[in-house]
Amino acid sequence: MPEVKTGQFSRASASAMLDPQLRRALDRVGSGFDVARRNAIAEVSEEVWEEWRDEARQIKIHTLDHLDYYLELLYDNVTAAGGQVHFASDAAEANAIVSHLAQSRGVKVATKSKSMVSEELELNPALESVGVDVYETDLGEYIIQLAGETPSHLVAPALHKSKEDVAELFADKLGVPYDDDIEVMAARARVALRDKFMEADLGISGANFVVAETGTLVIVTNEGNGRLCTSAPRMHIGITGMEKVIPSMQDLAIFLRLLPRSATGQRISSYVSMITGPRREDDEDGPEEFHLVLVDNGRSTMLRDPKLREALYCIRCGACLNICPVYQRVGGHAYGWVYPGPIGAVVSPMLTGLKEAKELPQASSLCGACREACPVKINIPRMLLELRHRTAESEDSSERASTASERFLARSYARLMKSPGRMRFAARMGRIAQRLLPGMPKSRGWIRRAPLPLLSRWTKARDLPELPPKSFRDIWRDELRPNAKNGENHGRR
Amino acid sequence: MARTMAAANSGGMPGRPKAEFLRSVREALGREEGPPDHRYHRLEEDLPLLEERAAELDARLRQNRPQILDQFTEMAAKGGWNVHRVTGAEAAIGQIDSIIAEVGGTRIVRSGQPVFEDVPVDTALEWRGINVTPVVRDESASREQLREEMRQADVGLTGTDYALAETGSLVILPRQRLSRLVSLVPPVHVALVRPEEVLETLHDLFLLRRLEYKQRDGEMGSYLNFITGPSRTADIEMTIVQGVHGPRAVHMILVE
Repeated sequence: MPEVKTGQFSRASASAMLDPQLRRALDRVGSGFDVARRNAIAEVSEEVWEEWRDEARQIKIHTLDHLDYYLELLYDNVTAAGGQVHFASDAAEANAIVSHLAQSRGVKVATKSKSMVSEELELNPALESVGVDVYETDLGEYIIQLAGETPSHLVAPALHKSKEDVAELFADKLGVPYDDDIEVMAARARVALRDKFMEADLGISGANFVVAETGTLVIVTNEGNGRLCTSAPRMHIGITGMEKVIPSMQDLAIFLRLLPRSATGQRISSYVSMITGPRREDDEDGPEEFHLVLVDNGRSTMLRDPKLREALYCIRCGACLNICPVYQRVGGHAYGWVYPGPIGAVVSPMLTGLKEAKELPQASSLCGACREACPVKINIPRMLLELRHRTAESEDSSERASTASERFLARSYARLMKSPGRMRFAARMGRIAQRLLPGMPKSRGWIRRAPLPLLSRWTKARDLPELPPKSFRDIWRDELRPNAKNGENHGRR
Repeated sequence: MARTMAAANSGGMPGRPKAEFLRSVREALGREEGPPDHRYHRLEEDLPLLEERAAELDARLRQNRPQILDQFTEMAAKGGWNVHRVTGAEAAIGQIDSIIAEVGGTRIVRSGQPVFEDVPVDTALEWRGINVTPVVRDESASREQLREEMRQADVGLTGTDYALAETGSLVILPRQRLSRLVSLVPPVHVALVRPEEVLETLHDLFLLRRLEYKQRDGEMGSYLNFITGPSRTADIEMTIVQGVHGPRAVHMILVE
């Protein structure tokens, strides 16, 4: 698995926020993807969109609750179509399967269309270690591969790179003169990769969906590289997380309406390719072998956990990233692992361990925008709260995100809030304290810096509201309540 | 280590044996082996039911064809196709000819689909000195020769199996004599569509596919491809560029 840097969120996000180039790139996400998504929804109407989301969610709930059954059905139907299914419990097994297939068929060159799972497995280095040259063919992935970096967005992996970055990279790695015209660069990638497509003995793809009823792998793409990868070489290996199975081909109607609109605002992507087994005898072309690798790699941990199982409903559209006020400020790399954004803040701790990733559930304002944008209505804020709860209460001190003093403060606060008497007393003390204590710069009702060590940590990143001279309870008692002391005010305020 | 262990379990092929893998999934779900208690309704649909629905679909398409064709051409144009509506084979050939002239094409490849029996482009274009190569594998042409032919081609010509009004897409299946690459490798793709091939929604298409799957005793065909507009990317600074790995321009000719 790729190096887990989820523990460095605070540091990585602080430096990301100061990067003006990243700022510009992330602004494009909101104004590009998210606006396009909203327009696409408006076109079909909110009402219809809600119906689609509900239906998709119901399908996911049913499938994941009976995942073993649908995996078996999928196995039977892929096999019946002449393909082979392989199961991998972890990254090592998945990489061993693909390496073995490549080696035993004497594969020298492999082309690959975009697959987040393969990023999670670090499949490319594994294949290279057995002498296979792997070429990423999605333009964004190709750029990332040349640069030796990792994706920063689920849909647009090279989002963080400027066109000047790419031009320099191409000049350096492809030996072409510097030209930062985007059309020219896309044409150069086409030329560089065209030979590889025809040379490759192996095409590797991910899967957006796999259909149990017919044993069909479905990929949704725009560039055409997915079609080339799965058509031109003699062998095609599809590799995907086991949660991508859906029961019936009819279900695709709903998912193909939701995914492109949520991802890029398209009604449908340029290409949707559905592959069922290898080429048949009568076909003009197509691969002679078809393999499907189904990967667990920590997913059964999520499956086992009823409170977090719904994270597996994710169809990787990226809508929650595009709308998230945190992602929009810090970008994908700050999240420290393959899956960024709100869904990444849930998935990464589950797949890599809460111990490393305990900062990620904090990387949210819990505003709920991700849940509203999610095409399968995943309740991401609820799961982030659940994970926060675990980092606060965990028996295992290495999973805890809070210090002893923070927990003391939180518990005291809870006690305070449960008793009106204590609350009144504390408020009175607070009012006195905020007048008397020195060194509390205030402005327009907000305390900018608190003096006590505990409160000063709080005000490092936030302002604390000043206590008003009179509490609401006092105002209610004295002025608002019917028959209050100043009863003539009744009804006027 | 996992690799050697797993490899030993299944005769050289690494990975987890199916039974063991599924057992661990079941165990995570806390569930017994067997189908869901509430069967998924779509998987319960049998051949007679699908046939009945397909008959209803056919009637609906016949009745609403003019509106459906209008919707189709509108959505196709929105999806990035250059849409041409023509009447008759002669007009279709004229349209193909003018597209080829416009892009300055000299080398053309086409699929071997039956639509070209009704629309005989080869002879018509040959007369104008343009060579059309049918991409059909036989004794006279190897896979390598055909691939080279496709790489050199300026225009790829195909028919379609279905078209979708909902999305403005073409849907192609691996019927005999259709290469997967003719619509993909040349920089310009021209597709011929006949009115009876146009369906209304995604649901219509999948209904017909499932019906055929059941009628053909579980044979789906090796692939199905939706094509909607040109190949495109927005991977550099979210600027849309047409024609990355597939065609940069696509034309659809609806032959009525």
